Amino acid sequence: MWRFLGTRLAMGALTIWITTILVTLLIHAVPGDPVQIMYAQSQGTTPEQIEDVRRSLGLDRPIPVQYALYIERLLQGDLGNTIRGGQPVLEVIMQRLPNTLLLACTAMFIAILIGVPIGFLAAYREGSFADIALMMVAIAGISMPHFWLGLMLLFFFALELGWLPVSGNGWLNLILPALTLGLSNAAIFARLTRSSMIDVMSQDYVQTAFAKGLPKALVLRRHVLRAGLLPVVTMMGLQFAFMMGGAIVVENIFSWNGVGRMAVEAIFQRDYPIIQGFILTFSVVVVVVAIAIDALYAVLDPRIRRS
Amino acid sequence: MSAATDTHVSAAPRGFLRRLLASPSGAIGLVIVLLLILCAVFAEALAPYDPNKMGAGARFLPPGRDHPLGTDEFGRDMFSRILFGSRITLLIGAVAVGMSLTIGMAVGMIAAFRRGWIEAILMRSTDVLFSFTETLIALSFVAVLGPSLQNAVIAVGVAGIPFYARTCYAAALVETSKPYFEASIAAGAGPARLVLVHLLPNVLPTMIVVATLGVSTAILAAAGLSFLGLGAQPPTSEWGYMLAGSRDYINRAPWLMTIPGIAIAVTVLGFNLLGDGLRTSLDPVERK
Amino acid sequence: MSALLSVKDLSVSLGTKTLVEGISFDLAPGQVLSIVGESGSGKSMTAKALMGLLPPKATARGVAMFDGQDLLAPGAEPPRGTGIGLIFQEPMTALTPVLTIGLQLTEALESHGLCDTDDARGRAVAMLDRVGIPQPEARMRQYPHELSGGMRQRVVIAMMMLLGPRVLIADEPTTALDVTVQAQILDLLREIVTETRIGLILITHDMGVVAEMADHVLVMKSGQAEEFGPTETVFAAPKAPFTRTLLDAVPRIDDAASRAEVASDTLLQARDITKTFRSRGTLLRRDDGQRALDNVSLDVRRGETLALVGESGSGKTTLGRVIARLTDADSGRILLDGTDLTKLSGRALQAQRRAVQMVFQDPYASLDPRLTVGRTIAEPMIIHESLSKAERLHRVDRLLQKVGLSGDMALRYPHEFSGGQRQRIAIARAIAAQPTVVIADEPTSALDVSIQARVLDLLDDLKQSEDLTMLFISHDLAVVRQIADRVAVMRNGRILELGPSARLFAAPKHPYTRALIDVAPVPDPTRKRGKRPVLQGDYPVGPLTQTAPDHWVAA
Repeated sequence: MWRFLGTRLAMGALTIWITTILVTLLIHAVPGDPVQIMYAQSQGTTPEQIEDVRRSLGLDRPIPVQYALYIERLLQGDLGNTIRGGQPVLEVIMQRLPNTLLLACTAMFIAILIGVPIGFLAAYREGSFADIALMMVAIAGISMPHFWLGLMLLFFFALELGWLPVSGNGWLNLILPALTLGLSNAAIFARLTRSSMIDVMSQDYVQTAFAKGLPKALVLRRHVLRAGLLPVVTMMGLQFAFMMGGAIVVENIFSWNGVGRMAVEAIFQRDYPIIQGFILTFSVVVVVVAIAIDALYAVLDPRIRRS
Repeated sequence: MSAATDTHVSAAPRGFLRRLLASPSGAIGLVIVLLLILCAVFAEALAPYDPNKMGAGARFLPPGRDHPLGTDEFGRDMFSRILFGSRITLLIGAVAVGMSLTIGMAVGMIAAFRRGWIEAILMRSTDVLFSFTETLIALSFVAVLGPSLQNAVIAVGVAGIPFYARTCYAAALVETSKPYFEASIAAGAGPARLVLVHLLPNVLPTMIVVATLGVSTAILAAAGLSFLGLGAQPPTSEWGYMLAGSRDYINRAPWLMTIPGIAIAVTVLGFNLLGDGLRTSLDPVERK
Repeated sequence: MSALLSVKDLSVSLGTKTLVEGISFDLAPGQVLSIVGESGSGKSMTAKALMGLLPPKATARGVAMFDGQDLLAPGAEPPRGTGIGLIFQEPMTALTPVLTIGLQLTEALESHGLCDTDDARGRAVAMLDRVGIPQPEARMRQYPHELSGGMRQRVVIAMMMLLGPRVLIADEPTTALDVTVQAQILDLLREIVTETRIGLILITHDMGVVAEMADHVLVMKSGQAEEFGPTETVFAAPKAPFTRTLLDAVPRIDDAASRAEVASDTLLQARDITKTFRSRGTLLRRDDGQRALDNVSLDVRRGETLALVGESGSGKTTLGRVIARLTDADSGRILLDGTDLTKLSGRALQAQRRAVQMVFQDPYASLDPRLTVGRTIAEPMIIHESLSKAERLHRVDRLLQKVGLSGDMALRYPHEFSGGQRQRIAIARAIAAQPTVVIADEPTSALDVSIQARVLDLLDDLKQSEDLTMLFISHDLAVVRQIADRVAVMRNGRILELGPSARLFAAPKHPYTRALIDVAPVPDPTRKRGKRPVLQGDYPVGPLTQTAPDHWVAA
């Protein structure tokens, strides 16, 4: 198991390291002079001011030196300051990150809570009318853009029915964005669970369990469910990454004050330190969650736990 | 010696179109996709108005006789805009997937075929990029290149590469370890022959399925970027962008929101169903 | 003695298709009934019907009386586990991977209310001990993947016997196991039958296993019973023509097929071949890997058939692949007619490759599904020779005829052919390269016996007519005896004995060879043996020393 986790940990560290390189290079990939572009929208910036910014961002140094400086500051927890407002980027991100994580985790919870039982039910009644109907709903769910689903939910529950607030950051405000994100991913979980369960049900060991004369409920609960959920667990890391990505869009629909909304604003404003900070944060979160899921998987699957 | 006695030939139908149409999802998907292609090709002939002509009708006309899908805040005809939007959407899907598919397949096949350190470098870096997630890659690209439809398509195309590379690699690895491939090596086949005659044709069916499903993902991703204002810019009649514009008039003209949404959903559904249908009908019916 | 289980006119159908038709038999306590047949004969379906475990859309008709109950009556619940137990072929997949052995053993006892938890544990440990599993207490806490295939099959047997069934159905219980392990499992099953007086239904394709185990035999073909009777009668005087065919096709290890000794010069030399397979290590730890070949040397003579025999993990396949340059050895040399194959690379290697061709085990994966059979066979000619299209077509046509197929098949695709036909096509492709050496790696293991015999004949014929030298890799000693001039017995990456086929089988020198020959099932019920000695402890693995002309044994 330690070997398995060690490999995953090394991969995660590699991913984050490569992110830091890409993030440093990012600003140089911008066509034209990034500093000029950043200030293109504000009037009356003097050439001196521009040179000041260039120096403070370290853009006048050779790229390897820039990278070294970036890493040095990074290790001290310094992600630089925002162009507009001059606040520390880390602070700006840390204010909003909990909101995004809350949204993503709630959505994940909803997706699993709805998707897994539906998938299990469909697999149990494979080929029946219920199975076909459920899977049609699931494929429609996958096809529905979540930004549209979000707008529709907003329209009905907030505007037409007036049950829920349109925007803000309270608990009631969490419901619609989490539902938006959760429902579209529930469809993915349902399909995944179904195919995994169908695969397990055709295995010899399930037949053996029946041959022992175990009641159907026990076979399903103990043999099928435990083995069939393992592939679903392995996919959870990737699903969480999807949630994080989806959160960017959903936050913008519901004006949820998370890092996704911040990032989109920063792209419009060409606020590169925020964009850099966002990319790094995003990949750290995704990597940490992926490793946590791998650890969970390693504990759940005896073939890995005891190797 | 006669071999006639050990014959129990399975008569597998070779016409895969017939099998595709026999599966409900494949048939529905094919119809949707064909209709979309027709709309895109004949948009000029079918559209009653110029999609960007303001004041083609009064503002915020609900769907009716003159404007089957109503008009928007500038009095543009929604039906015409949706029709022309299908052209943009299909183009986005085709270009983005074409890009991810060609580069991804090249990477995957080279890695599976060459093995050794080339394989290690290619697949490790693919793994790293894959764990970045497509959204982040696409967003980073737009952040660098700046918001535009063209950049959004490039971003989505690049973001898809790791997925196609991994899928192709896995499929190619299965093929290269099969006896028929080794028999060809033993017969003295060179790299070009191995890849072009044996590997590519056997990997292709899988990749066609993946690419068909991938068109859905690409369309959704690009529409998402446009929705955020990071893709298509005014006055393009791109569906995601149209949806974004509808938010301000959500109470006054809800059809501005529902119609582009339905258009995207049906398109994506079409490709998803077609992909599902292709998967079942391309599966070689080798063993029982 | 009255029958435990009495089956009358059992039929199974799936939609309009009939899979099993009109099967009848009786099974008495303490008796072994073998259902034998080739793939697709419906023998597994018969078992599943009795257990009420048919696939959802299949239906069974007929009468099967067990314990005063008709198992096939509508709404009948067969007494699964407590009345009838079932053992599957593949021990690797018969146990749930995520549950402990202990839980899987005790859960049914508790669920049937046969005893309480503590009692169940005690009984499970005792049963594990009974089926010959060492340290049963520790095993209870282990997971299936921590046990070998043979051990897992013992666990499955223990699991079924714990519930005290009166009938046990074993569906090919030893097919996935090595011969030495197979012998142990068969011994165990026989002991259990004698001790507990249960009735055993043993489903198998192997006439040798039938002869050694069964009191009665039911021969099936295409879902129908061809013959039913006492084993000795059926073997001595088969009534059905199919039984006759089946018996004739079985290769026999005790069959003294005399082969002319080939005395000629050495064609191929393998020298000091070592190969270790490493799984990918991590950054922190290095994997010592698995040694597949340990300093192996071997001479192959021009025109002979040399067999490499061994169980799984013996290194026989790796050695074949190293010689064919499909796997690169860590060290050692391969000399073919004086050319060192291990030194070649790139185009020189490609050009040299045609001299050594392979025939693989899996007929389904051996042919490129996207190419016509003709193109597959023509491939070596396209690569090495510049022939006109007409000449090529002519050659393909001749090759197809040589392997017993017809020339017009060249335009068809692999999926249109049966397993046996595909293997013929694969052989035609190998011959098309005009090789000097053909390496056949278990070429008939995936085929039914009746087809196996004909493919073996074909290989032997072609060896003569095409002047080939053949390296024949197999786990099946009986097959080897049929076709080989000389035999090399391998285990754990070493050659333990090498000698002329006739002498090696008549007077094996190495204890491992003796054990292998001893455990191979012989299709002769009159030779029923008692419990066989199991090879235990140390045996010599040292360098080969010559004990007789042409005969080497590990010292």
